[in-house]
Amino acid sequence: MAPRGKAIGMISGGLDSTLALALVRAQGVEVKAINFYTGFCITETQRRKGGRPDGTVPANEALRAAADLDVEIEYVDISGPAYLDMILAPRYGYGANANPCVDCRIFMMRRAREIMEREGADFVFTGEVLGQRPKSQRRDTLRVIERDAGLEGRLVRPLSARLLPETIPERDGLLDRARLLDLSGRSRLRQMALARELGLTSWPQPAGGCCFLTDEAFGAKFFDLLDGRAAAGEGRHLDNDDVVRLTAGRHFRLAPAVKLIVGRTEAENRVLEAYAGGRALLAAAVHAGPVALLEGSPGPEERRLAAAIVARYGKGKDLDSVEIEWREPDGVVERFAIPPLRDEALIERLRIPSGGGAR
Amino acid sequence: MWGPMSPTPPALPAPDRTLDASGLLCPLPILRTAAAVKELAQGAVLLVLATDPGIASDMPLWCRAMRHEHLATFRDGATWKSYVRARGRGAAPAGRP
Repeated sequence: MAPRGKAIGMISGGLDSTLALALVRAQGVEVKAINFYTGFCITETQRRKGGRPDGTVPANEALRAAADLDVEIEYVDISGPAYLDMILAPRYGYGANANPCVDCRIFMMRRAREIMEREGADFVFTGEVLGQRPKSQRRDTLRVIERDAGLEGRLVRPLSARLLPETIPERDGLLDRARLLDLSGRSRLRQMALARELGLTSWPQPAGGCCFLTDEAFGAKFFDLLDGRAAAGEGRHLDNDDVVRLTAGRHFRLAPAVKLIVGRTEAENRVLEAYAGGRALLAAAVHAGPVALLEGSPGPEERRLAAAIVARYGKGKDLDSVEIEWREPDGVVERFAIPPLRDEALIERLRIPSGGGAR
Repeated sequence: MWGPMSPTPPALPAPDRTLDASGLLCPLPILRTAAAVKELAQGAVLLVLATDPGIASDMPLWCRAMRHEHLATFRDGATWKSYVRARGRGAAPAGRP
């Protein structure tokens, strides 16, 4: 049977987008799944560090869902300068942390619209549920996103479609509105019941979102970085390597324009070495311990603090003195001994966010 | 399928093309693979080199979704090697209901 039109599905691999895909396909519509790479995905960061704290390695859920449902999938890399510019100056502002969710959705849906046009598809659909998220999934916001993405009438939310205005594919008979859903709110009971009905057996458990920008500790590091650059007279800018560094290590603000990042694991040490990008690298010369990156131009006091913090997190932390190797980006290497910093209150004051963070 | 935990690789065909995605963080090796495979004739073999361990789970899933043949993904020292046989343009497109 020839398919009834074609749709582009924005798929995360979570329960909602998987159900949306199943609902659209059940109506005989050909589906191409797309998934966006932003650089801020918590799951990807966990994977490159070797897995979760409990030792398990998360799968790429979008790929898993596409494979399980036998759907073509295209990864779309949106992590470039235009996306970062949007994050630095979101038209609709930030959520609770560094998350410009409305602007991000608009950004993604503009790309989805381009893919829809390129593929000759009829509409775009998502797994959004009315009222499920406090800002980006309110009724008025859903309308703004659709309008600003240039998708008016061609953006279908199958899980809440019967609570929203009729779309062009419904009007044109590609989709039967009666076979779409009327879900709203945060409860997922109906989704889980529907998944069982459709024979879907596995989906990731919701874990508070998979985007670093919604994370409180990450948000503190993000804004601290921008403030530090402003203090250094550089202006508020961000690149992809900054994003990688923001997802690794303990971060300490030693002075308005001087920052230290200390690796917590071997995997983070490797990331920091690979993404040093012209910054000084510090490590204990003899004892095992972290690799650290220093951004900015430290004075004598910041140099002492940085070295003492690196000594504090290594195997020599209980010694009177630890030899630190300080490697400048121009190749100059200096070694000197320093007592590990044992003033925990000072460490916590310097830490970003102040008092520490889980990630 | 030859999984990442296997100690030695099976006999594998000589690749028609090699893509070096070393240093790229996942899922970027998959993005590069998708672009490279589009240029291959049906049946041609692509060897992907990567350093991000995420490729061990990503590549088999991506191949299954895209109906390419996943021949093997295994670790060789610090590098992951992944062999993919291209589906090519002659096969039925994926995603049909």
